[in-house]
Amino acid sequence: MTRYFIKRLLGGLFTIWITTIAVTLLIHLVPGDPVQIMYAQSQSTTPEQIEQIRRNLGLDRPIYEQYIMYMGRVLQGDFGTTIRGNQPVLDLLLVRLPNTLLLAVTSLIITMVVGVTAGFFAAYKRGTWIDTTLMTGAIVGISVPSFWLGLMLISIFSVRLGWFPVSGTNLNNLVLPALTLGLANAASVSRLTRSSMLDVLSQDYMRTARAKGLAETLVLSRHAFRNGMINVVNMLGLQFTYMMGGAIVVENVFAWNGIGRLAIQSIFQRDYPTIQGFILIFATVVVIVSIVLDLLYAWIDPRITYN
Amino acid sequence: MTQQITTPTPPVAPLPSKNREFRRFLQVLFRSPGAKIGGVILLVTTIVAIFAPAIAPFDPLEMGVGSTLQPPSAEHWFGTDDFGRDLFSRIVYGSRLTLRIGLVAVFISMTAGVLLGMVAGYAGGWVEAVLMRGVDVLFSFTETLIALAAVAVLGPSLTNATIAVGISSIPFYARVTYGAVLVEKNKEYFKAAQAVGAKHFRLIFRHILPNILSPIIVVATVGVSVAVLSASALSFLGLGAQPPSPEWGAILAAGRDYFRRAPWVTTFPGLAIAITVLGFNLLGDGLREALDPQQRRS
Amino acid sequence: MFWQFKLTKRTAQRQRRSLLGVALTAILVSACGNNQQTTTTTSPSPGTTATEGGTLIWARYGDADSLDPHRTTTTLSWQIFDQIYDTLLAFNDSGEIVPNLAREWQVSDDGTEVTFVLNEGMTCHDGTPFDANDVKYTADRAIDSQNPSVTRGAWGPIEAVDVVDPQTVRFRFQSPFAAFVSFMADPFASMICDSNQELGDQFGVSQAVGTGPWQLVSWTRGDEIVLDKNPDYVRYGRPVQNEGAAYLDRLVVRQIPEAQTRLAGLQTGEVQLIVNPPLDDLDAIRGNSNLELHVAENTGQNFFFEFTVSRPPFNDIRARQAVAYAIDIDAALRVAFDEGLVERERCPISRGVFGNDQEFCGQYSYEHNPDRARQLLAEMGYSANRPMEVILMTSTGDNRERMVQVFQSQLAQVGINAKIETMDIGTLNARVKQENERTSGISTFDMMDWAWFDPDILYQLWHSPGAYSGYQSPELDKLLERTRTTVDATQRREAVNDVMEYLLSNAVHIPLYTPGSLWVYATRSQVQGFKIGPFNRPVFNDVRLQ
Repeated sequence: MTRYFIKRLLGGLFTIWITTIAVTLLIHLVPGDPVQIMYAQSQSTTPEQIEQIRRNLGLDRPIYEQYIMYMGRVLQGDFGTTIRGNQPVLDLLLVRLPNTLLLAVTSLIITMVVGVTAGFFAAYKRGTWIDTTLMTGAIVGISVPSFWLGLMLISIFSVRLGWFPVSGTNLNNLVLPALTLGLANAASVSRLTRSSMLDVLSQDYMRTARAKGLAETLVLSRHAFRNGMINVVNMLGLQFTYMMGGAIVVENVFAWNGIGRLAIQSIFQRDYPTIQGFILIFATVVVIVSIVLDLLYAWIDPRITYN
Repeated sequence: MTQQITTPTPPVAPLPSKNREFRRFLQVLFRSPGAKIGGVILLVTTIVAIFAPAIAPFDPLEMGVGSTLQPPSAEHWFGTDDFGRDLFSRIVYGSRLTLRIGLVAVFISMTAGVLLGMVAGYAGGWVEAVLMRGVDVLFSFTETLIALAAVAVLGPSLTNATIAVGISSIPFYARVTYGAVLVEKNKEYFKAAQAVGAKHFRLIFRHILPNILSPIIVVATVGVSVAVLSASALSFLGLGAQPPSPEWGAILAAGRDYFRRAPWVTTFPGLAIAITVLGFNLLGDGLREALDPQQRRS
Repeated sequence: MFWQFKLTKRTAQRQRRSLLGVALTAILVSACGNNQQTTTTTSPSPGTTATEGGTLIWARYGDADSLDPHRTTTTLSWQIFDQIYDTLLAFNDSGEIVPNLAREWQVSDDGTEVTFVLNEGMTCHDGTPFDANDVKYTADRAIDSQNPSVTRGAWGPIEAVDVVDPQTVRFRFQSPFAAFVSFMADPFASMICDSNQELGDQFGVSQAVGTGPWQLVSWTRGDEIVLDKNPDYVRYGRPVQNEGAAYLDRLVVRQIPEAQTRLAGLQTGEVQLIVNPPLDDLDAIRGNSNLELHVAENTGQNFFFEFTVSRPPFNDIRARQAVAYAIDIDAALRVAFDEGLVERERCPISRGVFGNDQEFCGQYSYEHNPDRARQLLAEMGYSANRPMEVILMTSTGDNRERMVQVFQSQLAQVGINAKIETMDIGTLNARVKQENERTSGISTFDMMDWAWFDPDILYQLWHSPGAYSGYQSPELDKLLERTRTTVDATQRREAVNDVMEYLLSNAVHIPLYTPGSLWVYATRSQVQGFKIGPFNRPVFNDVRLQ
């Protein structure tokens, strides 16, 4: 267990380390002169000032030195400042990060509850119309673009029915974006749950349990569901990653003030320090949460061996 | 971009090679109603894409062929957009872009991913460690982040979005291939071939590749649907297709400004994306079932 | 009429590098008597009871960058800090410069010294007195050589700022700089209290201390800015009726990026004021008795085409003219905007600005003539098989994308394949300059927008090296210089005409439309007394909720 923990941790650190390198390189891959693009706002910037900015950013130094400089600053919590308005990038991201996490976690709960329930029933009622209906719904579900689903939900529930507010970033407004993101992923979770449950249901011990004359509900709850869930719980980390990725799109549909919205705005404004910070924070969060969920899973499921 | 490629379990039967076997394979495949529907959807989409000029009643780019924001009518089946362009014609032409995005992106990710996976799986040792570690890193970045970063660097355009989406799916193919190669490597035929001194290149291409083709094809089929969704999402965010391109995600994004006054402008491209993606998903499911002996058995 | 205010906008510093124009305007103010009302107001309708207190929520598409007047030029920023700070002088409704924080001012005969006498007993939001030291602090900070204001140029050649006594401050200039006085009424010349010095990096970010009618309570970046009324506010010069503190208790500025979402919020009453409603839904606003539409007038905004002349084909006048003949501006406006929202503009300076003369410009402007365009292209060797490939760039927002898409379609009809690139305005500025400095590559032109209150805009745009290092010629330079040195109104008008004629007949600057940038607002009808002051400056001192 400890060894597994250390291995996962090292793997995570490695990923974050690679991210920092990628982020440093990013600015060099941009076609054209990034400094000129970045400081486009200040039209009056003279060539000398541009040179000064370049020096301040360390862009005139060898790349490994730039990397060390960047890392030195990042480790001190300095992610640089935005091109516009000179605000600290880290503050900007940290203010929004809880919003993104709230959306991702709420959606994850919806995904799990809806997806697992649907998948479980489909497997249990295998071959019946319930199965067919649920699985048809699931495949349609994975085919619908989330941004479209979001717009449709807005037009029905906010505009027509007036049930939910359309704007803002508070709990009232969480429902629609979380549903959009949650349902889109619930579809694939229900498919995975179903196939995992089918595996379990066809196992010998299920037959044994039934043969022993255990009540059906007991068979299902004690044996089938618990065993089937192991695979599902195993996906939590991955699902969370998908939620974070999906949040970038959904935040932009619902004007949810998360880091995904900020990222898209920064791309349009070519605000590279913000883009760099976003990628770094995003990757770090995803890595940490995945590790935590994996460890949780390892802790819950005693069958797993670690090597 | 919230969809996920579900990796098929490696023990998938090799693709049937002989003609008769192939026919039987098709029979099995299209026994499932899902695959049938998926096949029909894709056939129709392909026909629409190929014969777009014949099918579309208007030039997809010409403005003012109808008055602006006209609801669906006999003349304009899907209504018109804010420039008075015929929406039906735009969506018909958009199918070309959509199919191209899907296929090109999958080609990119499949080529790179399969190559990575094969080399890693076959070579083993430090090559394997480095490559698969790299794939893991890419994987944990998530496709969305990779695609965004790529577009941030390359600048928004449909081509760049396609490349970005292609890059972002590489890990899936790499992992599937890698897994399948490991399985194949331990099989008798492979060991025999190795024993008689077959060259690396020959071993990989003659022996391993044909045997891992079917899981790859399953992933690729579903992968097209993921690529289409991702690219349309990028276009929706303004990072993909640029005007006047009739890319579906871009049409949808433009229609967002007046989706109350003219809901058809957002409804039809959304449906078009959903239906096409559904086609690939259904076919992918069918393929998986037809190729997966385990599934067939149960 | 003719006199107009400049409108500051997102990239305003470029418009402000030279301020001679301001001086000329100051002269013109006295030269013309009948000033035009430049604002829209909602006056309380009789029979309704407007109460004091309450909160107004104002939704905008984006957030301020900074509340430090020296760090940003975006409209989204200055429209907020204009509430928090005050200026030494102010513009009244008819555009005259009037006292504000300074109760009087004096310009020395040689024009190198400007002295302001401040009102007594003024305090900053934090309770510290506002006096000459604060003025000096602000000015010194703006012209600081290490970290000057982004609008440094507008402050002119200041030699030193002297505090004569606590109520008197004197600006000394290296050379006469008459433009200074009117700049002192501009939001970028907002007076900062010297207690901000202690805030360090927090100034303009989480805290901001001024003397304006509203004080900063909190700023959740990307979400909302909360301002409370300054209970001690005394109106000296702002163009409002309310002599004291604002009627509202609180002003919340919220960020709602999607236009549809903003409108929905207004309809449900979640917010009471929005800027930039979806331009396609204005009829819905007009037809809704709960909502009211406010359109800022005489904003000085002007949209136009300009070309990259450093390389073929646009270094050839025929290529530029072909573009000008190919487009049908009126048709494009009909597609992109509701009737009456914007107007075709034929002059390189906007309607309402001194020197604008539709009739005069009409003689040289290009009317839709695709055959002529094709002929010019054919002369240059282009044909159906060899279309001209160009990039058409513009900035995002306000249906601009839609305008350029119509243009794209019209250009295609004469054989010009234009690829559209839409970008952030800051990026566009840099890009245009970059393109002008490049001598090879695919040719580009762009739809640019500027706002200014005086024909001096043309000097800043086109006098060598120009704002974007674009088209330059010694002949044009000479014409432009004359518009700066000529003081007599009639002669100056002629000088401006010469410049406009040159720009139009050489197809350097193709005027398109006006206004078109952040000029449409909508409120709930319960909002009384909302006013868009000169230069698109919303003021809230008179606002009551009914």
